[in-house]
Amino acid sequence: MAKQVMKRRAADNQYLHKDFHGALSAGLDYLAEHYGRQAVRDYLRLFALTFYAPLREQLQRRGLVALKEHFEEIYRIEGGHIGIDFSENRMIISVEACPAVMHMREHGYEVSPLFNETTKTVNEAICEGSEFTAELVEYDAETGRSVQRFVRRESTTESVKNT
Amino acid sequence: MISCTEFIPAYSELFKFLQKRGGKDAVVAFWEYLSDNFLTNLQELVEKKGLRGCWEYWSHTLNEEAADFTMELDEGVGEFKIIMNHCPSKGCLLEYKHIEPYPHYCEHCDVLYRRVLEPLGYEYHADLSHCDKAKCSILVKRRKAGKSIS
Repeated sequence: MAKQVMKRRAADNQYLHKDFHGALSAGLDYLAEHYGRQAVRDYLRLFALTFYAPLREQLQRRGLVALKEHFEEIYRIEGGHIGIDFSENRMIISVEACPAVMHMREHGYEVSPLFNETTKTVNEAICEGSEFTAELVEYDAETGRSVQRFVRRESTTESVKNT
Repeated sequence: MISCTEFIPAYSELFKFLQKRGGKDAVVAFWEYLSDNFLTNLQELVEKKGLRGCWEYWSHTLNEEAADFTMELDEGVGEFKIIMNHCPSKGCLLEYKHIEPYPHYCEHCDVLYRRVLEPLGYEYHADLSHCDKAKCSILVKRRKAGKSIS
């Protein structure tokens, strides 16, 4: 039997391993089962505060446009369709279907009942200590379809009225 | 949504979170859980196809992860080998300047894969001595008849 050899350089492929969503979902389930549901939120908050520190700094410095660029980029990479209603004081992101949830559904991975926290808690943590608040207004657990709202704190009332 | 391209730091931070809660034992317990519950695809492939199952499993994952690697399958000799010239996961963690990788990050591969492959009749050897440079290697060998693990 002949020996088979495969050689690859990093540049030979695009970095996009969507099965990682399933691994993250498994991690959330493990945390909830062994440490309680609040541990899931605590972990995601800490992760977001740490990992998105540069984005949070951009949010402070440049406002919502920094978040707009971030979300446009990650949904583009993941092949998700989103609509963004943007102004300086308010941004509403409408996600047709979450690419992570859809990948897991299509490939037979368990979707954690707390998977919405990867949007809700993470968005809230990104905005923590900033002029803006984050709210997960709608979320469909089956598809991950969602409406995410970011509003400048002093204009919260006006923004909600206009939504 | 956390993009799958941001998963590696998310996992590294999860390991750190677990370590704070329950020490390294808590992290290893999670890796064992993952191995048992998340790597069933590797287990099924190897049960069905032997070492070729390893080849198929890692052909999928390493290409999607854009790894820099050489992979060899010699079914006649009974060996499967991966030489990781640049691990995309550890490489990514080393590149970020604002996060500190979980210090034992690379050990998760050893726990996850060893736990699947050894009970199926294979030796699993990992060289993590250069993982601080995002380099490592694994060798999976079909165990010779009569040689059992305890």
